[in-house]
Amino acid sequence: MISSDVIRGYNDTLILYMLLDGESYGYEISKNIRKLSDEKYVMKETTLYSAFSRLEKNGYIDSFFLDETFGKRRTYYRITPQGLAYYREKCAEWKVTQEVVNKFIKEL
Amino acid sequence: MDTIAAYLNNMFASLPRTEQTYNLKQDLLANMEEKYHELKKEGKSENEAVGIVISEFGNIDELVEELGLPGGVEDTLLPLLAPEDTWSYTAAKKRAGFMVGIGVVLCMIGPALLIVLVTLAEYGFLRGVLSEDAAGMIGVSILLVLIALAVGMFIYSGSSMERFKYLEKGFNLPCFLRTELEQRRRAYTPTYTLSLTLGICLCVVSPVLVIIWAAVSEDTTGYGAAIMLLLIALAVFLFIYYGTIKESFSFLLKEGEYIELPPEKKEEKRIMGSIAAIVWPLATCIFLISGFVFQRWDINWIVFPVTGILLGIFGSVYNLVKAR
Repeated sequence: MISSDVIRGYNDTLILYMLLDGESYGYEISKNIRKLSDEKYVMKETTLYSAFSRLEKNGYIDSFFLDETFGKRRTYYRITPQGLAYYREKCAEWKVTQEVVNKFIKEL
Repeated sequence: MDTIAAYLNNMFASLPRTEQTYNLKQDLLANMEEKYHELKKEGKSENEAVGIVISEFGNIDELVEELGLPGGVEDTLLPLLAPEDTWSYTAAKKRAGFMVGIGVVLCMIGPALLIVLVTLAEYGFLRGVLSEDAAGMIGVSILLVLIALAVGMFIYSGSSMERFKYLEKGFNLPCFLRTELEQRRRAYTPTYTLSLTLGICLCVVSPVLVIIWAAVSEDTTGYGAAIMLLLIALAVFLFIYYGTIKESFSFLLKEGEYIELPPEKKEEKRIMGSIAAIVWPLATCIFLISGFVFQRWDINWIVFPVTGILLGIFGSVYNLVKAR
């Protein structure tokens, strides 16, 4: 389990990655993040939804409603071209971050 | 499962009720319920599943900050309900429901008496004693007196609820009162269901009497119509009185109709309410006129079910058009 503090700056990136293959909704995204991280990272509900709100405000994702069976309405999200550009930026940033931090990591 | 909804309700209790927070809450609830069902499917116990879902909820402040909501402030501003306020509210509501119910019954007894008097003067033992016109006059006078009485009761019950007006602005319900209210409501549910069933049965059965009466004696179908009105009055009383008691629980627990409705639902409720308020009295006018002028007591009751069905159709069409 990793703490939410460490990963904070990359929550948005994780979510954008999940949307690369197409639209999805809250629970599906958080479930896939957990699966992909081998259960090492569980994104909290409130973290997920504040990220949605932030990403949408910045125009990186947009949301729409889809009706499920039993008339329940679900909010779906999809990535926008700006979101894709932002995702690439974050990937590049991570590479540099990783390089830098790696220089200070040593097996003891 | 209820625990999850209750937890979420608590988390959102201090947030302003906007469309945004409403939608957010619905989404979160849907997610948490889905997670809960999957955990159950994996073989987790009820307690474990609920525990995991709640522990993975996170911190509401995170959302409040991101959404720029003025959270937490309202909480301290809203009055906390004391037990005596709560029980005096439910008692007052019950009394008011009784008054309004009796008022409506009085309003319906008026036309019933009028019909009976006129029919008596025309065909019954008052024939020759009282002219038809005189019977009509007496009937109308009694009707007006009863309506005046009813209006008095409506006003009285309305003003008796005036002192609880502040509750509409919002309030906080302490936990122990919520539990107690939920218990009381559970205990009340069978009574409510019974009254509802009885009322609906009365409404459905009431025209049957008119039909039978018309078959036995065509001239005095008016009596059947009067009895029908009385049965409907009884049904309406059941609906209003027992409905008001149920409403008082829902209001305090902020459930059912009192849950924060999205604006479009509020609008729909308002429009349907105003239309019903026009159409039902109109239907009653048609009923009385067709009865007194054309003597069709045997069949004119049909305006009530027809009105009901038309209103239903209107509601569906309205929703359909709105959804487009």
